[in-house]
Amino acid sequence: MNHAPTRDEMTHEEAADDRTMFGFWVYLMTDLLMFAVLFAVFAVLLNSTDGGPGATDLLSPQIALINTVLLLTSSFTVGLGLQAVTWFGLTFLLGAAFLGVELYEFYELIHHGHTMQSSAFLSAFFVLLSTHGLHIAAGLLWLGIILIYVLKRGLTRSNVRKLALLSLFWHFLDIVWIFIFTVVYLMPFTGV
Amino acid sequence: MAEHIQNNGITTGNEHGSVRSYVIGFILSLVLTAIPYYMVTEQLMTGRTLLLIILGIALAQMFVQIFFFLHLGRGPKPLYNVIFFGATAGLIVLVVGASLLIMDNLYRNMSPQEITVRMAQEENIAELNGLSTGACQGNNANHIVVISSESVQPQYIEASRCDTLSFAVEDGEDHMIMFGSYEEPVSYGGMYDVIVRSDRSKIITLNEVGNFTYHDHSNPDIIGSFSVVEP
Amino acid sequence: MKEFWLGKLDWSALPHEWFTIAGSVGITLMLLSLAAFITYKKSWTWLWKDWLTTVDPKKIGIMYFIVGGLMLARGGLDAIMLWAHQALAGSGEGYLTAQHYQEIFTAHGNIMVFFVAMALIFGFVNYIVPLQIGARDLASPFMNTLGFWLYVAGVIMINMFFFFGGEYAATGWLAVAPLSGTEFSPGVGMDYWIWSLQISGIGTTLGGINFIMTILKMRAPGMSLMKMPPFTWGSLCSMMMVVSVFPLLTMTIILLFFDRYFGTHFFTTSGGGNPMMYTNLIWMWGHPEVYIIMLPSFGIFTEVVSTFSRKPVAFYKSNVIAMIGVSTISLCVWLHHFFTMGADANVNSAFGVATMLIAIPTSALVISWIATMYKGRISFKTPMLWLLGFVVIFGVGGITGVLLAIPPVDFQLHNSLFLIAHFHSNAVGGVLFGIFAGLSYWAPKMLGFRLNERIGRYAVWSWIVGFFVAFTPLYVLGLMGATRRLDTYDASTGWQPFFVMSFIGGLIIALGVVLQVVQIIASIMQRKQLADTTGDPWNARTLEWSMPSPPQEYNFTAIPEVTTRDVFWKMKEDNAQPLPYEDIHMPKRTATGIYISAFAFLAGFGFVWEIVWLVVVSIVGIIVVFVMKGFDEHAEYTISASKVSQMEATRAKKIEEAKQYARDDHEDMGLIEFMRTAPGWLFGLVRNKS
Repeated sequence: MNHAPTRDEMTHEEAADDRTMFGFWVYLMTDLLMFAVLFAVFAVLLNSTDGGPGATDLLSPQIALINTVLLLTSSFTVGLGLQAVTWFGLTFLLGAAFLGVELYEFYELIHHGHTMQSSAFLSAFFVLLSTHGLHIAAGLLWLGIILIYVLKRGLTRSNVRKLALLSLFWHFLDIVWIFIFTVVYLMPFTGV
Repeated sequence: MAEHIQNNGITTGNEHGSVRSYVIGFILSLVLTAIPYYMVTEQLMTGRTLLLIILGIALAQMFVQIFFFLHLGRGPKPLYNVIFFGATAGLIVLVVGASLLIMDNLYRNMSPQEITVRMAQEENIAELNGLSTGACQGNNANHIVVISSESVQPQYIEASRCDTLSFAVEDGEDHMIMFGSYEEPVSYGGMYDVIVRSDRSKIITLNEVGNFTYHDHSNPDIIGSFSVVEP
Repeated sequence: MKEFWLGKLDWSALPHEWFTIAGSVGITLMLLSLAAFITYKKSWTWLWKDWLTTVDPKKIGIMYFIVGGLMLARGGLDAIMLWAHQALAGSGEGYLTAQHYQEIFTAHGNIMVFFVAMALIFGFVNYIVPLQIGARDLASPFMNTLGFWLYVAGVIMINMFFFFGGEYAATGWLAVAPLSGTEFSPGVGMDYWIWSLQISGIGTTLGGINFIMTILKMRAPGMSLMKMPPFTWGSLCSMMMVVSVFPLLTMTIILLFFDRYFGTHFFTTSGGGNPMMYTNLIWMWGHPEVYIIMLPSFGIFTEVVSTFSRKPVAFYKSNVIAMIGVSTISLCVWLHHFFTMGADANVNSAFGVATMLIAIPTSALVISWIATMYKGRISFKTPMLWLLGFVVIFGVGGITGVLLAIPPVDFQLHNSLFLIAHFHSNAVGGVLFGIFAGLSYWAPKMLGFRLNERIGRYAVWSWIVGFFVAFTPLYVLGLMGATRRLDTYDASTGWQPFFVMSFIGGLIIALGVVLQVVQIIASIMQRKQLADTTGDPWNARTLEWSMPSPPQEYNFTAIPEVTTRDVFWKMKEDNAQPLPYEDIHMPKRTATGIYISAFAFLAGFGFVWEIVWLVVVSIVGIIVVFVMKGFDEHAEYTISASKVSQMEATRAKKIEEAKQYARDDHEDMGLIEFMRTAPGWLFGLVRNKS
């Protein structure tokens, strides 16, 4: 009593895709919780500057604003990329620009002697920011690899699924960044 | 290669995600970024109100992106995704909020060195890789001080570290023993005072080395002292 | 140059103390003899193809049991060493240094929680959950192998100190800051702790995600959440907690790693660091962790009670809600682990009350079990005996737990042996007994033959008696003021008799373990007589019993339609006819998980010894393996319906053959008969080359 094989194949694959998307969603939630730890640590250590300069002395909302716009736009192009793959190229460029700005910011801080060894506050700042940056870098690497897959094999089912997962990942990183922007770059300036 | 990859049957939750929804989401997000930035840099207001407002706007932007970019809650069978997201949000509030609350609470009275000692005491680890952690282990000599309405007996005690000191009461009243003099209270091992009830004695562990005085809070003329040396 | 290639490694890292020499030589000999045996049997290809690279959750489950069982022996040996030292220390004859004693209790805690309890729980979840929900494999079979092999990498890592470095963390199982910082723990022991937990912890998170996907998305048609078997519910709750708290552990350990390697100031006492933040974060994971290992055990007990009382689970819904309640509340109680660290009375009482609240759902569970037994036709097989032991011991553990949740009482009893006795009541009586009950309950399904009842009963009683003899004195000692982790105490305290009694209890427990090993060997010797030819030896109620034992690789020839809870019971009542065969899609075996875990292990080893090139190479290796896996789009194969019918026919023939030996009324082998026949049997096993 066989079912028609093609139909069976379809539902079987669709179910697998559905599971993968859901599993990836759960993974993103675990990643959010890791960021939650970093945010908690940052909030607790915000004033633990060990006598050194604090957030208001070192951080610049201007740079963060540039980065916010870059990342937000890249998140937007990821959405468009699901309509037409070429947009992903722009995402890649915007993501790389974001990393560039962030590295520049780090370079400036370290150049002036404010390293992550300087104080608990700076440890928390650097690790929170670089964890996010590392996610972006991983996303870029992943995007590059998927684009290679796409060039070699075309938009196969599995490649489309990979792009869909990547877009989830990228949107998620943008949402994390909203809170980095607010908590790290704006909150210290509220004077609380 | 502007291929349409939308209708490959993948349930990305993006079926309903038209370009329009991305454009709306993008513009809203830009606005919700600009407002708090402007408010903070121009110092329109300060303090807790501002903080709450910018956090609220961040949350609003998160929901905008979740709705217009991630399309959570749409597409087939979104219930589990929504539940997981809600539960995670709750957990994040718990992790961040409770950490702030608890840390604020714990750090009232303790210096890092005292924390080291207390923590080591808690783990019962007195020595680690040849270094003394300051914690006391095992059972050592106990010194007894009797407090009455006129004096403490004996007035001076010599002890080695990790001995214990018992306060007992003779006159049937409760006493609050403070370390240091009345004018200059100091802490001993993280404690500023020891409350001794009339009906039972109170034991403290002598884990800090040095010379210390103490006095009765209700009658500052009653003073005693002790010195603790390394064994 | 040497520093570039070998980092901190040098000659002094090689074993030179009695325990590292004993450990490394012992492990090497074991591995060598195992390798020799496999070579002699010409089984390498079989081992690689059928087991190591398998994606079958049933086989992975069994591998979890084997590795977890070995680690139980290792952790148990640690316990005996601690007990013996304490028993001797009162008269000044303890044989361990303080440092060594601390390393042993740290390793004991880590091994028992991470590498025993978690492994055995994952063993059951792997084997049983797909069978119970009517699934043929997991949502991501690859992730499952990866999780298992990461766990194995963690196991190897925690035992590496025998070979290189000679020291393990001496800071207690949670490595509290600032003791775990470079000031107090400059050596590699702490780094072994970090990387063994980190690697296996990531594997656990992957497993959690995978089983959530499987349970929520792959149930048989008709099986709504409220029709799921209790063990599946327990596993689901447990896995939900895994994904809720293991990320916290991962990040906390990363921060500790940054403190140690890069000189940051998260948990240090200098530079504005905040050591209490570490305690706070680690217990946010640590407290739920004990419920992660507890909840599947609850599920096992519910299954056992229902099966051996011949009744459906009473108050099924309350039972499920209670498990969800336990998992939810347990996320909000972590502060009770540091009541004495300076929090306000308000904060302490809030967390104290939350802790006591857990007693309510837990009691609901006990009531559900008792009500299930009420008016049931109970048969006291070994799983049921484990349950009885559990209820009593766990009851004691629960009551003392509520006591400790009262902050003023905690101020008196924290850091005492009372606390130790309390959590061992829960961990041994709850988790381990649940695992043992599950083992004897599901052994017929997993092995194809049931376990020896007679020797099994001896083992149960040794454990129960041993437990009380060992831990009652600890309760008393705790009340007398003995602190935990005590490696020296004065004879004048009069504690020594209690410690000696506790040690004797430990030996009785050890006897129980030996009896369990004997039980398994005796059962293998009598496997023909004990064979399970029906697939349903206990007259049970859930789907895992609906196929022959052990199940075929595809589990179900056809996925059953679920109409009710206890669906298999209904199928038996209705005398349901087997469904027609269909084409079956199965995942292909893969070694990718092994490669990635091997690289993860090397990266961890590189971090421990600060060998930068090894770390870089390993991380690049992991990425390359992942990319190559991405190119492989054909991870499945199909078993055609005709092949299935052929396989089922072969199986049916085998079962017919087995029936002539199998005897339900067979008198299980006793100890004396075992001692008479075992040597000959073992000799035959080695001589027989096939």
